Amino acid sequence: MSNCAEVVIIGGGIIGCAAAYNLAKKGASVIVLEADDSIGNGGSSRNGGGVRQSGRDPRELPLAMYSVEHLWPVLSEELGVNVEYHKEGNLRLGKTEKHMEILQGLTDRATACGLDVKMISGEEVRAINPYLSEEVIGASWCPTDGHANPLIATLGYYKRARDLGVCFYTGEEVVQIQKVRGKARRVITKKNVYEGEKIIVAAGYESRKIVETVGIDIPMRKELIEALVTEAEPKMFPQMLGTADADFYGHQTDHGSFVFGGASGFESVNKDNGTNATSSITAPCICRGIMKYIPKLANAKIVRTWAGYEDLCADGIPVISPVEEVPGLILACAFTGHGFGISPVVGILLSQMALEEQTLLDMKEFRYDRFHAVI
Amino acid sequence: MKKINDRSMDIGPFVAAPDDDMLICRCEEVTKGEIRKAVHEGMYTLTEIRRYLRTGMGLCQGQTCAKLVKRIVAAELQVSPDELEPATSRSPMRPIEMEVFAKEADADE
Amino acid sequence: MKRYDLVIVGAGPAGLSAAIEAAKRGLQVIVFDENEKPGGQLFKQIHKFFGSKEHKAKVRGFVIGQQLLAEADEAGVEVVLNATVVGLYMDKEIVVQIDDQVHHYKGDAVIVATGAAENMVTFDGWTLPGVIGAGAAQTMMNLHGIKPGKKILMLGSGNVGLVVGFQLIQAGCEVVALVDAAPRVGGYGVHAAKVARTGVPFYLSHTIVKAEGETEVTGVTIAQVDEHFQFMEGTEKHFDVDTICLAVGLSPMSQLLKMAGCEMEDNPKRGGQVPICNKYGETSIDGIFVAGDVSGIEEASSAMIEGRMAGIAAAHYLGYINGDELEENMSCQTSALEGLRQGMFAPKNRGKILERTEEGVLTSMNLLKKGFVADDEIERYPGVTHRVGIHPVMECTQNIPCNPCQDACPKHCIKIGEKITSLPAVDETAQCIGCGLCVASCSGQAIFLLQEGVEPGFTLITMPYEFLPLPEKGDEGYGLGRNGEKLCKATVIEVKTSKAYDHTNLLTIKVPEEMGMRVRFYKAE
Repeated sequence: MSNCAEVVIIGGGIIGCAAAYNLAKKGASVIVLEADDSIGNGGSSRNGGGVRQSGRDPRELPLAMYSVEHLWPVLSEELGVNVEYHKEGNLRLGKTEKHMEILQGLTDRATACGLDVKMISGEEVRAINPYLSEEVIGASWCPTDGHANPLIATLGYYKRARDLGVCFYTGEEVVQIQKVRGKARRVITKKNVYEGEKIIVAAGYESRKIVETVGIDIPMRKELIEALVTEAEPKMFPQMLGTADADFYGHQTDHGSFVFGGASGFESVNKDNGTNATSSITAPCICRGIMKYIPKLANAKIVRTWAGYEDLCADGIPVISPVEEVPGLILACAFTGHGFGISPVVGILLSQMALEEQTLLDMKEFRYDRFHAVI
Repeated sequence: MKKINDRSMDIGPFVAAPDDDMLICRCEEVTKGEIRKAVHEGMYTLTEIRRYLRTGMGLCQGQTCAKLVKRIVAAELQVSPDELEPATSRSPMRPIEMEVFAKEADADE
Repeated sequence: MKRYDLVIVGAGPAGLSAAIEAAKRGLQVIVFDENEKPGGQLFKQIHKFFGSKEHKAKVRGFVIGQQLLAEADEAGVEVVLNATVVGLYMDKEIVVQIDDQVHHYKGDAVIVATGAAENMVTFDGWTLPGVIGAGAAQTMMNLHGIKPGKKILMLGSGNVGLVVGFQLIQAGCEVVALVDAAPRVGGYGVHAAKVARTGVPFYLSHTIVKAEGETEVTGVTIAQVDEHFQFMEGTEKHFDVDTICLAVGLSPMSQLLKMAGCEMEDNPKRGGQVPICNKYGETSIDGIFVAGDVSGIEEASSAMIEGRMAGIAAAHYLGYINGDELEENMSCQTSALEGLRQGMFAPKNRGKILERTEEGVLTSMNLLKKGFVADDEIERYPGVTHRVGIHPVMECTQNIPCNPCQDACPKHCIKIGEKITSLPAVDETAQCIGCGLCVASCSGQAIFLLQEGVEPGFTLITMPYEFLPLPEKGDEGYGLGRNGEKLCKATVIEVKTSKAYDHTNLLTIKVPEEMGMRVRFYKAE
């Protein structure tokens, strides 16, 4: 068992695994520490699988566009597993004039950044996806958006990184990062001590508690949101769906099942029991949402529901940044529920940060020290 | 550290066996060989196997195959089956139609 | 939200027993069950139960089910059927599907009594139609009156395999073999013996190599296994069958508890994933209790007691009884449960080979390996004696918690004593009158009446008989040995049925004197 590496990554989710893979590809020695027994047991395995550019904050859009253009199309080949990537468009649906206003705003901001997204009518929507109900009066349509299988993508990065010699230790909950001679170096878990030249913290909301031990804070909170999956249904449509009202989002998987995420509206105030337990009211609410848009799914059987924490950043985009005041420390957290689609490029960017290379995209918007009081 | 937590642990190479074609998860049609192979690809927990291969994710939610998968994975990892935490249980306990789940009876009735 | 003192999930023996005890103490109780009929597995159990009077011994399972339902009804328990629990959420909230809606309920206390599900075992062809679980076979036969198949191989020699194997024969199926990979019969010897004497061969240290057939089972091949459970070449045996019945154990259906966040453990002795709970069934979550197979696989008799305990514990938890009452109420339940957990099949003895009974009598190895006590072994047991005239012969050779025969005899010929697991012995000073009540009372069908030395050259044997069509007086047939082997011609002397025998018929046959201690079954010509 190895306790020392050039890079120690805290967090075995898709961000940590993608970073580990890219680092190992460049020959760096890497240790990944995951608190849970299983790899990718946080948001990586609990999200809706969207690989979207539309609907994103303009600051985040370059990361999404780069991933969609260069990385997702070749990811299955690169990882040697089928990540079930489909680039067949995203429909963000509206049922009211107010919805259409929201969609127009999003569309205008995205087109300004060079994204191919446009507003379409209800008829045009149903020409693309005939299963959508007459209640849908329009949508924003981004043909280059899509979806993938987050479970396979996460485990695929893990598998390839492991093949390349990355040491993964699960069940290793990090309690502290320690500085040695002015640099972040030691990672203390409940059971062991690890050392790295560079330490990447990609532990979702838990990152906050970890970096607190070196005096760093990221303004974020966590929310438990839910998703559900149906039994396998005959193939219906390939697009990713979302709504202006954010009542549900999701897609049909290669397997045939539909994965839909959604919310009850009480997420910000809901209590939890410390685990990602589902609430009794959310799944029924998601079902009601879905049926208004896709009536044909009324008879589809739900086989499973689950919940996962989002790490919501105060300003809605992640922190992906070296922390100069704690040399050796790199942060990748507060993904705000948008991490999966951009994970391939974030993996590359983190590897560049750790190896002190020039990053392939300008990362100043994602700095850890960008937060300021209102006045 | 538990054996399954060290993902660099040497469990030897995957060796094909005559019963690799045996169906284990009937709902999702996953074979014994696929499960054994996944272990060698680094899937050391039942949760990972499930996410990687869909074992136990079908209509019966693992009621039939959970123990079988567990035994196969444990044998491949050369650990006792007790060391493998069963996958999480999630509602609904039985598959339920979307329109039924959606219809919540009035609390006052 | 609809709120009850106590919400119980599962209307099987444990759930109903819990509901009865709680409701009797004043709790408002609702029970949900996903099935269209209550009673769990009880209504499939057509055999008489073991135990003592308190355990409802010698009462047939489905009758116990009826009794529990009547008791629950009288106590004011609300039982909702076709009610599928979707989940157990925070704050002890239960979401349940009834008809085409979901309902939200809260229980100040919740008892989960969801029972168990059957294990499966894989072999080449295990997914072919015709490979079924023993539970399915019981459902078909005993609830719906359908024969699961014509020619059947049973895998599993635990009590489920033995009991269902016997019921298949009763239903008119041919059981071609009873097979188990273990080197010894796992269930009660008396259950094995009643199957073996009908002529079913036992293959211990054997298991299924493959189920044959293209689209459905047409045959099966078994083979012997070594101590590492590896097939031994050249030991294959083929049977033409249309059905393969699997009785390879049960797993607790504890998913609801896991979902609720109860602390769980993987405990092979309890059959799998079970909640960690105290002696009264309270889990790590305040107010959530468990009872029955969901917390560890045992018999229905113990499930009922565990249910009663959980119901009493819930009553205490909600302040319906005080601490003293709790202790007082629990003490008799605890001792009843302890009583059931005694003897050779006690949890502590699981996996052990016991060479002698509690009385010091050598164990019948033949019984463990072939399913029947050999002729040269039977005389060593205290229930087996000889005298001129009629007298009981009790072929009860293992210490199990069961004693109805002792009370059945109006003349006190049968002695078990204080210890419920003791082997029944014959009191030589008492005089048997041949009433046959002991024969009918024995859930293991292990008591016979022998009339020796009355008619020169012949012995009359009275045996329990639960097959149709019933032989008639004067019929000629064969006397079969304990291994099912045809030993001699036999003539039916009498067939007695009586309400007191509760559907166990008493068949008296006449066999040559030297066959008196060997013949234990009758087959028509």
